[in-house]
Amino acid sequence: MSTLRYIADNWDTLGPEVRNQLVIVGICMGVSAAVGLALGVAAARSDRVAAVAIAITSTILTIPSFALFGLFTIWLGLGSAPVIAGLILYALLPIVRNTRTGIRAVRPAVIEAARGMGMSPLQVLLRVEIPLAVPVILAGLRQATVMVVAIATVGATVGADDLGRPILAAVGRSTGSYERLLSGVLPVAAIGILADLILAGAERALSRGRITTAAL
Amino acid sequence: MISFEHVGKRYGAGPPAVGDLSFEVSDGEICVLVGPSGCGKTTSLKMINRLVEPTSGTIRIDGRDTATVDVDVLRRGIGYVIQQIGLFPHLTVAENVATVPRLLHWDRRRARARVDELLELVELPAAEFAQRLPGELSGGQQQRVGVARALGADPPILLMDEPFGAVDPISRERLQDELRRLQGVVRKTIVFVTHDIDEAIKLGDRIVLLNVGGVLAQHAAPADLLAHPASPFVESFLGGSRMVRRLGLVQLRGLALTADGGVSPTVAVDIGATLREALDAVLRAPDGRAAVTDAGRMVGVLDTEAIRRAAQ
Ligand SMILES: Nc1ncnc2c1ncn2[C@@H]1O[C@H](COP(=O)(O)OP(=O)(O)OP(=O)(O)O)[C@@H](O)[C@H]1O
Ligand SMILES: [Mg+2]
Repeated sequence: MSTLRYIADNWDTLGPEVRNQLVIVGICMGVSAAVGLALGVAAARSDRVAAVAIAITSTILTIPSFALFGLFTIWLGLGSAPVIAGLILYALLPIVRNTRTGIRAVRPAVIEAARGMGMSPLQVLLRVEIPLAVPVILAGLRQATVMVVAIATVGATVGADDLGRPILAAVGRSTGSYERLLSGVLPVAAIGILADLILAGAERALSRGRITTAAL
Repeated sequence: MISFEHVGKRYGAGPPAVGDLSFEVSDGEICVLVGPSGCGKTTSLKMINRLVEPTSGTIRIDGRDTATVDVDVLRRGIGYVIQQIGLFPHLTVAENVATVPRLLHWDRRRARARVDELLELVELPAAEFAQRLPGELSGGQQQRVGVARALGADPPILLMDEPFGAVDPISRERLQDELRRLQGVVRKTIVFVTHDIDEAIKLGDRIVLLNVGGVLAQHAAPADLLAHPASPFVESFLGGSRMVRRLGLVQLRGLALTADGGVSPTVAVDIGATLREALDAVLRAPDGRAAVTDAGRMVGVLDTEAIRRAAQ
């Protein structure tokens, strides 16, 4: 209760931090969805591309976030920009992996019928493969979003004015730190859960007739 | 007309899948490609819509070398049905059937009318089936949708690769009968692949029998194939009881019938029947004779000897 009270009392600083958190996550997911989808399609077409893309994106995930953000400050300075750049890289693996898996799961007969009816390779991709793989791709986006929402808080260490701020400020203090810590953690958790629910709902709504993660 | 001119296909460095194949398919006929597994039937079929590119020779459609036509344009003018059907599982039956009309940018109303017409043709009333997903249909119904989809933009040519291979024998027979009925209405040039010689005999106007390596063993009408197999391979592929099976293909209507002047037979058979049905009538008749009737009027009399002569 006292935490909610704390949040309400400090909304004039927390509000912008929530907004920044959403902006960072939003831009990051927009870019990594586009890049990840393109890479995932390329990875579905070629085993060599897949091996390289998955190796690189999984290696990126092993870099500590603080180090990755720090690296980007060299080119992008302090603030949200290096955080967004780092998070884009983090988000790629689940999106690329799931896009490839989803497209690969489309039955060859369906592709052959599509080609046989005179769809160009691009039409097959846009009208058949991606629509069929949508639930699996959404599952990847969901995983990436939940991960990115949490990691974005580390961005406060390189000057991003997001929900990592109250958490960072609370760490190591002896008094009054409990509410402050939670005032950052609770909104982060809420955003994460909300994003998860929305994307899971979309995944379910679009699963009729399509390839689902459960079927893989 | 589809013509194969010295067509060959070699996958990689192996032996040719199709050797040096030449034959023609006339407009409006069902040409069945039949032969043992791996003899190159599917390869030959897919070379027509260029899902497989020939490594030698030329395939022409109405005189035009298919290699010179834009491949997507070529395919939109050729219906294609495969055993695994390959319906789009996320699209409704109506959307599946409208695939090629949509690729050709037909307006919505025209495409809709066409879908209704086609579903009617394959006996899946639009009111009941148009909005279903393929997963909500039986195997036989899915295959009907596959055929309707292939007929989408009314292509003059239909390619069918073992379309009824995966359905149970009873549905299979029904689908075969339906295809015959359908062909009576739509009059397409159909190339039909099967490894089942009985299906080939039942459906084909002409049969192209291939041996391993895509070598043409014989190209003939079913009745001629049964009566005059060109080689021991053809004979063994056709199997036993050739002449009896052939009786089912010969219509009484084409025969020179004579009345023998004796007493009227007690058993009659209509002129629309086949020699097989006539033989059955003759065997049933107490005096071994059956009258052939045309609209109830007797036009001839058959006995076993007359049937034997007619069957040659
Ligand atoms: N994509 C391919 N790559 C290499 N070889 C192939 C390919 N497709 C077919 N073949 C070979 O070509 C030959 C003819 O194959 P095809 O599929 O045309 O036979 P089929 O007559 O349709 O056989 P089935 O009755 O079993 O379907 C076979 O020996 C097959 O192994
Ligand atoms: Mg085959």
